[in-house]
Amino acid sequence: MPENKAPDYVMNFSDEQLKEMIAECVGAERVPKQISIYTDTSDFYRIDYDDVVVLDGRPYLIRNNEREGRFGIEEQQKYWVKRARDLTDGSTKILKLTFLERFEANVGGLSFECFRSPRKEARILELVRGDSNFMQGHSVTDSAGNIIRILDFIRGRTFADFILELGDSHEDYFHRNLPAVLDEFIELVKAIQFLHSHGEKHGDIRRDHIIKEKQTGKSAWIDFDFNYLHKENMFGYDLFGLGNILVYLTGRGDVTIQNLKEKDPMVFGRLFQDDMNIIFNNRVVNLQKVFPYIPDALNLVLLHFSVGANVYYEDTVQFLSDLQESRDKM
Amino acid sequence: MISKDRNTRCKSKDKNILIAVDGSDNANRAVLYVGDFLGGLPGFCVTLLNIISEPPADYFSGKNERDKWVEEQGEKAEKMMEGYRDILIRAGFTEDSISAVSALQDCPSIAECILGHLRELNSSTVVVGRRGITRKEEFLFGSTSSKILHEAKDCSVWVIK
Repeated sequence: MPENKAPDYVMNFSDEQLKEMIAECVGAERVPKQISIYTDTSDFYRIDYDDVVVLDGRPYLIRNNEREGRFGIEEQQKYWVKRARDLTDGSTKILKLTFLERFEANVGGLSFECFRSPRKEARILELVRGDSNFMQGHSVTDSAGNIIRILDFIRGRTFADFILELGDSHEDYFHRNLPAVLDEFIELVKAIQFLHSHGEKHGDIRRDHIIKEKQTGKSAWIDFDFNYLHKENMFGYDLFGLGNILVYLTGRGDVTIQNLKEKDPMVFGRLFQDDMNIIFNNRVVNLQKVFPYIPDALNLVLLHFSVGANVYYEDTVQFLSDLQESRDKM
Repeated sequence: MISKDRNTRCKSKDKNILIAVDGSDNANRAVLYVGDFLGGLPGFCVTLLNIISEPPADYFSGKNERDKWVEEQGEKAEKMMEGYRDILIRAGFTEDSISAVSALQDCPSIAECILGHLRELNSSTVVVGRRGITRKEEFLFGSTSSKILHEAKDCSVWVIK
């Protein structure tokens, strides 16, 4: 038994009972000889494979730590995010334990203060309950008062990975797949608009934070615990994220000057600084120059995120309106 | 609200000038400009407005941290306002023609908060400094002076560069 022995009010399970539940869930041969039970998750590094965390009277068998990679950086373990099995019904859950951090984010040479907030994520989970455009779950507090989010595990892969396999060529993708991809993205943008209309930011909009569920094919936003100290435009960073995803979806992946220089020097020769992403200057935003069949209306939406833009979207309503219009014209 | 030192002497809305300040060099320039331009002229009053945009409650680990943050901001604001007041007095404004308001509030948009105070403070002119932000910054963070220029109604806007 670990030092932080669970208080009686939540310890409704004997070791024998837990072993029976574990056997039922993962098989008798995988029942650990000794079970460490935690109700205080403050020291999440100690909570490991085969431990049991009891939250709100429910025992969860801990499996692995979740991992996250980003832009070529090797995947890193997130020790505060545990995959677990709910021993009462066998379902797979993600337990997000409390990990508070503040840091200075640097995007394209601009820095701003970011912080992680379990309370924010708990609030949003409540707000979006039943909305399939968002991951689902609820929050509880552990015996030390930490806010724990218990999330339904989404089986699937990122929307970004999914679209990379669509179409035999970009042109084929554009004609056969992009309309449906945009319809799906529009629903996801509406979901973000819903958050914004309730005064909430997503906080970390990026393409690998949309997971497409394997069975239903439905895509959902994940990870709402990030926040940033905004300046004049509260939702500017969220909008930037949405723009990046739209450019990625339209281009069926990132279209970078490095790639074009190598594979299509003619197109590369036609590009100017104004055609590039305003923050990530190596990514092409004026995709019509690369794929001439991209219609003006859609390309104009993309150009709002380019170095050459004269106006920027101030809110999701404007962005959504233009996006919907461009989709209607396709 | 952290502090409110309102001027009741200024009768004319047209002569009540609101300067939005935040301790930056550009805010300093805005105060200097108003001092140079209007100092010593009869009937003009200045309200110095400092909006302290309060971070969301999630930012703080608890009440103690928030209270400490508020206290620090209050002290900083008081010192800053004293500096601006001195500039205006040296430029010819009388002490009783200057008032200072430091407002701690949840501001989804600082520009909207400033314009809200402008209406409440019976002032018809708002003066802001312009930082000269890059296009990248404007794209990602927005620009308070640009938003004031676009959103302000029934008032004059001076943007000091």
